[in-house]
Amino acid sequence: MNIPLAAMEQMNVDVAALVTKAQPTEMPDEERVARTKHVFMKRMSMGLAMNLESCINCGMCAEVCHFYMATQDPRYAPVRKFLPLRRFYRRELTPIRWINRLFVRDIRADDLKDWQELVYDSCTTCGRCDMVCPMGIGISETVRLMREGLAAAELVPSELQAVDEEQRENGTVLGIDSNQFKALVAELAAEGVNIPVDKQKADILVLSSAFNLRLFRNSIAGTAKILNKLGVDWTMSSRCFDASNFGYLSGDYPAEEMETLRIIDAARECDASVVIVPECGHAYMALRWGGANVLGRRPKFRTFAISEFIGREIQAGRLRLKTIGNGKSVTLHDSCQQVRHGGLLSEARMAIAALGLELREMESRGRTALCCGAGEGVNLINRAEPLRQKAFSLKMKEVDDTGADSLVTSCDNCRYNFLTGGAKAGWEMPVESLVELVADNLED
Amino acid sequence: MTLLDFALGPGLKWSLLIMIAGLTWRVVGVFLGRWRRDLSRPRSEAVVQGGLRTIITRSAPARELEKNIRFQHITGYIWHIGFFATVLLFEPHIAFFESVLGFAWPGLPSHLALVVAAITLAVLVMLTLRRMIHPVMRMITSTDDYVSLIIIISAMVTGIMASTHMFPRYETILAVHILNVELLFIWIPFSKLGHLFFWLLSRYRIGSYFERKGVKA
Repeated sequence: MNIPLAAMEQMNVDVAALVTKAQPTEMPDEERVARTKHVFMKRMSMGLAMNLESCINCGMCAEVCHFYMATQDPRYAPVRKFLPLRRFYRRELTPIRWINRLFVRDIRADDLKDWQELVYDSCTTCGRCDMVCPMGIGISETVRLMREGLAAAELVPSELQAVDEEQRENGTVLGIDSNQFKALVAELAAEGVNIPVDKQKADILVLSSAFNLRLFRNSIAGTAKILNKLGVDWTMSSRCFDASNFGYLSGDYPAEEMETLRIIDAARECDASVVIVPECGHAYMALRWGGANVLGRRPKFRTFAISEFIGREIQAGRLRLKTIGNGKSVTLHDSCQQVRHGGLLSEARMAIAALGLELREMESRGRTALCCGAGEGVNLINRAEPLRQKAFSLKMKEVDDTGADSLVTSCDNCRYNFLTGGAKAGWEMPVESLVELVADNLED
Repeated sequence: MTLLDFALGPGLKWSLLIMIAGLTWRVVGVFLGRWRRDLSRPRSEAVVQGGLRTIITRSAPARELEKNIRFQHITGYIWHIGFFATVLLFEPHIAFFESVLGFAWPGLPSHLALVVAAITLAVLVMLTLRRMIHPVMRMITSTDDYVSLIIIISAMVTGIMASTHMFPRYETILAVHILNVELLFIWIPFSKLGHLFFWLLSRYRIGSYFERKGVKA
């Protein structure tokens, strides 16, 4: 793993301090409500309308939500998390709104303030509820629109707001700028790992993240080793190396657009036909599935998560790995955004199989995998820590039940949560990155 | 005109008309909404198959999810199957459908139909009580839920009363039962009972949405 303890501790300190860095927001209540309604109206679609029409209040979504399962607190029922949006829809948009106005009260600023905890702290938009709803409601996408509504009303939790502002205004995330990126590239070069930077033309543009730079530098090194081994034409951009999209995480859609377009521009500049996103669930969702919709057309390049790229190369026979099994078993944590929402169901498993490791699957995996409790920015919200830890305990149990020797994941955010949450719980399960595992075992 | 004449005449005609017009308006209204084309490159092109598959497979979610909702799942099946069996297989109902449609089909023996109706009613009452007691259900339940339950339960109760001659004036209780059912017709388009149609649409939609990403929902 080789994660310096000091870097981890500093990261925890910096995350804890985020709450003080957000710019104070003052907005009259009427304006908050008006802005939220404007976003709800603007972003409404036929699909979302179907979600809001179909709910029968059966409560089944609660029974598979890690936050409800861990606490039995009825407030965390997923269906309840988009109640203000539902109220708005029933009063303003549904074809039978003229009747509903008699019975359904309008949304108030207090509703929006009360819903902040439900929409941000206690929902990772993991989408497990999407897989059980008997009506087939896309609950997670509906909660995402709630986030957009709250972001427009400037009701994003301070920590997320702080990083969103930092990225929007300075182009950095958690203080990581291009100088630090270049310093890391130089450091790795001294260790014999070559990263081509700012090539004018390259087939592949590789992105990283502030998490990687601060904590998981071996993940960047590993990516470089794999690409160099494959002999492909690749580069990283010193101006656009971070795939994180805090606009996407916080529901700040204009910022999401800006961050996505920044990456698309960087890919255009070097004429890349492929963009590789690091081990990061939300970054994959924002670019792979959101990029074309932000741009208004399909970009020229194709987007792959690094785990997806590895899986494809293994399948094509271009990437060969050493068999390191020797009776060692692992279990795989499926990142909700990459796997359930992103469709990367088999790629990481291909790599594990190629390494000859025994894969011990968790009870909930693939499309029904349990979230680790920290996705979609929940990791950074300080006050959510006790709740996050409770949800995490469900994950720990599923991992422990496999009896595997170690846990593999291909999401830095999940990995950070496994490390910090695990440390708090005194959990000793080794946590490994898929990329690092693959990079350490490339066939000579 | 007696109450029964009204129930079988204008009451039936208008309630059906309101139901059909209301449901059509509600469904068409949703389809008139903004359709956002997803421009991302699909992982799977089989979105129609994915949607159709989910309409069926969502009736039996993955085991690791189903184990958490077994009670709701089983009771949901019992009451939906019991309700439609009572509506479609009770001999007096079949006789009514025959008078309208001109053809009939085999029904359940009346005592068996009554047992089915009684079990369905018992499950519905139990689910209503659960709505009032269970913390999650209490928190998410709306007036719509209770009104829908009351209308359905009373339709079942009046139907059982009429078929067992528990009420001294058969024609009156029959008229009340039919009016109750007509109230249900009128209520459907304005309530959550609109899921009568929406379940197909939303299941299809989520199935195709995830299929596009290569995930079987």
